[in-house]
Amino acid sequence: MTRLVEVPAQFDDRSFDQFAAAYAQATADGERLLFDAHAAEWASPYGLVGLLAAGAAAGRRAGGSGGAERPLLTVPASAEVVSYWARAGFFREATDLFEVHGKVPKTKPATESEVLLPVTPVRAAEDVHVVVSTIQQRASAILAKELGLDPKATMGFAMALSEACQNIVEHAGSGGWVAVQAYNWRRKLARRVVVIAVADAGVGFRHSLEPSQAKRFGDRWGDAAALEAALIQGVSRFRDPGRGQGLAGIRRYLARWEGKVAIRSGTARIAIVPRWDDDVPLRDGLPAFPGSQVLLIIPEQGSTQA
Amino acid sequence: MIQHINVHEVLQQSVAGFYADLVTRPTGRAVRESIERALSAGTIAVMDFTGVGCLDYSCADEIVAKLVREKVRVLLLRGTSDAHRDAIEPVLLGHGLAALCERPDGTLDMIGAREPAAALLEELVAQQVAARTPGGAIALTAA
Repeated sequence: MTRLVEVPAQFDDRSFDQFAAAYAQATADGERLLFDAHAAEWASPYGLVGLLAAGAAAGRRAGGSGGAERPLLTVPASAEVVSYWARAGFFREATDLFEVHGKVPKTKPATESEVLLPVTPVRAAEDVHVVVSTIQQRASAILAKELGLDPKATMGFAMALSEACQNIVEHAGSGGWVAVQAYNWRRKLARRVVVIAVADAGVGFRHSLEPSQAKRFGDRWGDAAALEAALIQGVSRFRDPGRGQGLAGIRRYLARWEGKVAIRSGTARIAIVPRWDDDVPLRDGLPAFPGSQVLLIIPEQGSTQA
Repeated sequence: MIQHINVHEVLQQSVAGFYADLVTRPTGRAVRESIERALSAGTIAVMDFTGVGCLDYSCADEIVAKLVREKVRVLLLRGTSDAHRDAIEPVLLGHGLAALCERPDGTLDMIGAREPAAALLEELVAQQVAARTPGGAIALTAA
């Protein structure tokens, strides 16, 4: 028996909870999963790396229960969409995780201006070096010309990206993926944005911080408290006093450029919401989803009225 | 005696692969350990960042903050960009630590916690390693 997990037609951070709910329901009885993306019309980098995290978690589940079957994935029916996913580097990673059904074009990940960094695996510190080096080569012109950021801000962007990726290496206990794209964000701003999405199917913030923080929070301890501790209070699972700088640094960088950060882990999601957005700062009781998913948005500079 | 550290050179020697960026804890740790082996404890050290691309908070903490906290008496940073200082400043402040930055004109600036930074400047002047310029700033007397 195969359980269906429908990929939302517009797959981004806003529709992710719908996807997570379908995932949580489908995994309840341990059957093989079919991720159905045939109706997908668009996916943000967050959607793409989130789908890979789901595939990784589903594959681990199958292996763990004695079966060796990878989850299934039906590719988008639209040739244009599937081509975009291929250019974004999605299928290069997906073929290792899913049994892919449907025609996938043999396209190299794009060097076009929208895809600043194709979907890239992050498993070790060396991968972070590659990501940082690539983004500096690709992104400086776009950040300066298209977003109106001070050219000096490119380095800060690379720093933020580095810290977001290191979160996987140091805390997830498994590999993950990062993707960076620039696009016109009609929904909120009617202007260009650069989006960094990082996702893993690892242990999540609650599990990572539990040994050092659970006692301090007492009954309040859970996914939401863990996210609050990490993002707002800057705590780390390491006792070294210098730890916990990464997320604080990301916050400082985004505050300077009116950017947004949102982290989803387990059943909670936390966001530092800039004035142009109306997101909820903290949500708890969401459908459970493995690992952590980080979203950073940097808008084109200028008036950022919602 | 002032000891000199070329960070870019140490980075090339410490980690596999040709990297110009100081990112990730493991890289920071490897670079710091190489520096520590070459430095005498309680020394005045000039750390030259020329040629270093991105410096992230993890490396700033792992290298700069830990050397200031555990190894050197005065750390003087040279060849730093605004972005490097953006990473170093909050890390030092977080620990209540300080270092000194050499500006392109050779004068010294404080980075990190103000009080200990001012004390570092005074110490360099007292040791005649640095002196007041006619403009009232402080610069090294010998690089």
